[in-house]
Amino acid sequence: MRALRGTKQLTLAGLLSTVRSKAALFWTLAFPIFLLVIFAFIFGGGDGDRVSYLLPGLWTITVISASFFGLSMVMVQERENGTFRRYRVTPVSPVAVVASFAIVQLLTLTASLLLQSLVAKLAFGITSQGSVLLVVLMLFLGCLAFVPLGLIVGSVARDMKIAPVLTNLIFFPMMFLSGAAVPFFFLPKAVQAVARLLPATYLVESVQGVMVRGEGLAQLQAPVIVMLVTAAVGLALNGLLFRWESSQSIPRRNIALAVGGILAIYVVAALVAPELRMAIQPK
Amino acid sequence: MLISVQGLVKRYGELEALRGIDLELEAGGIVGILGPNGAGKTTLVETLEGLRSPTSGRVTVLGRDPASDAPALRERIGVQLQATHLPSDLTTYETLRLFRSFYEAGLQPDEVLSLVDLESKSKARVGTLSGGQKQRLAVGLALVSDPELVLLDEPTTGLDPAARRELHAVVVALRERGRSVLLTTHYIEEAEALCDRVIVMRAGEIVADGSPFELLRRSRGQSTVWIEVAGELDPVPLFQSGAKPEGRQGGHYRFVTSDPAAFVVALGRVLQDQGLELLDLRLKRPTLEDVYLELVGEEPAGDSVAPAGGMS
Repeated sequence: MRALRGTKQLTLAGLLSTVRSKAALFWTLAFPIFLLVIFAFIFGGGDGDRVSYLLPGLWTITVISASFFGLSMVMVQERENGTFRRYRVTPVSPVAVVASFAIVQLLTLTASLLLQSLVAKLAFGITSQGSVLLVVLMLFLGCLAFVPLGLIVGSVARDMKIAPVLTNLIFFPMMFLSGAAVPFFFLPKAVQAVARLLPATYLVESVQGVMVRGEGLAQLQAPVIVMLVTAAVGLALNGLLFRWESSQSIPRRNIALAVGGILAIYVVAALVAPELRMAIQPK
Repeated sequence: MLISVQGLVKRYGELEALRGIDLELEAGGIVGILGPNGAGKTTLVETLEGLRSPTSGRVTVLGRDPASDAPALRERIGVQLQATHLPSDLTTYETLRLFRSFYEAGLQPDEVLSLVDLESKSKARVGTLSGGQKQRLAVGLALVSDPELVLLDEPTTGLDPAARRELHAVVVALRERGRSVLLTTHYIEEAEALCDRVIVMRAGEIVADGSPFELLRRSRGQSTVWIEVAGELDPVPLFQSGAKPEGRQGGHYRFVTSDPAAFVVALGRVLQDQGLELLDLRLKRPTLEDVYLELVGEEPAGDSVAPAGGMS
């Protein structure tokens, strides 16, 4: 397929750049372990069951921080410094560029999550009440939902001054409201009502559901729907919002469509939202 | 027709960067666009590349409209932008392999490395290359598809003389491969040394267009001739050739003339008639720099006295 020509080499180049960059290695490998250790000792007291309870939130933080602060920032940098402009005068398509960013992000994120899980298993002896395969599947769905969402910021943010601001504006509410950093049952009811619209909430809810409450796929319909819709909207918006140069303005119609797409995620979440089981404090 | 431009105007708000450019380029050879900063060279080239869209006018490159037919056109042109930024953690070879993968056909990375004389740097990270090497890589990236037309925007700006000469060799080799090259420069000697055709731009307009020799012929400037003879010269017969005396400088008689060829013929006769021996002859013709400065409306720097340098 012509639109995908170059994707393989772009992906390889992205992986090589990641492996050769100390900063990228730190955020991919060291930071997730650091996060795990902090969580495990400060909030979990090093206890396996409590770490197993905390881990879904921790994984979620890993997924959304990588999605919003990882390659989406590289995307802004490469647009700002003119690397994208150089690509633009070749026949390579935006689809190939965005796809390669998404694939590299998915692969590095997989490495982060695997390493985090391995250390959690070996050091703290985490256990899952439900199917491990289902945990992996839900995490994969989460990556599929959040990686494209993060890359949207990479297209929308004009430069590296505005990019971290936008990212933080999205990242912190998701982290604190989704139940990832703060147990969901601690949140006031009104805040919970808002949090139920955020896709991150469903990643925590689903993974915790399987790990802690031993739920099966039948009980996870709502999270699966919300995350699939998020992934689909995210992918579509990347197509609408991509630009080679910051000086190119995004057509108004596409901005309107993007806002509509994000709202659609909230509407779907509102429509399918069940009573979140993580809102009940475990005994 | 390689490139055809008709009535091209580009405005940025109030600023008129291109004010009606007409240009026809045939395939083959090296064409240079020469002009000071802000003359519109980059705007013109980037319009040909499809990076900027014309305010009005018609542009075709290889028979295609760069604005609407970009993907097909970009298969067949190679571009070096004025500023090239590349991922710094990839090696030279990896970078060429990456760009090669964007095209349907083209050269192998190793072939390009040898074209731009970077074989020894194939495993070096881009971030560790010198300015000249980076620039040769940037030109190399324009060659990975073995394009019919290569557009180079100020390929040698900021390079030291040795690095500039190495890059010139790369460009000349392209001409030998039968490729067409369009390059911009603000170095006059570069245009003179490399280009088969020079287009001079000033303030968004083309003010001259021709081979370096044609441009020199167009000069209003005068040549200066210095001669030294054994004995006393009666210069009057020389004046018939249109030369004017400028007095003496050391042992040399100095003349200015707009027709140095006629002067030399007249001089031969005078020497014979007066039985004089010619000890020295020096001729300073207007340089492309003089022509260029006449065209872009600046005064040449005050070097009208010394016979040293610029001799031909």
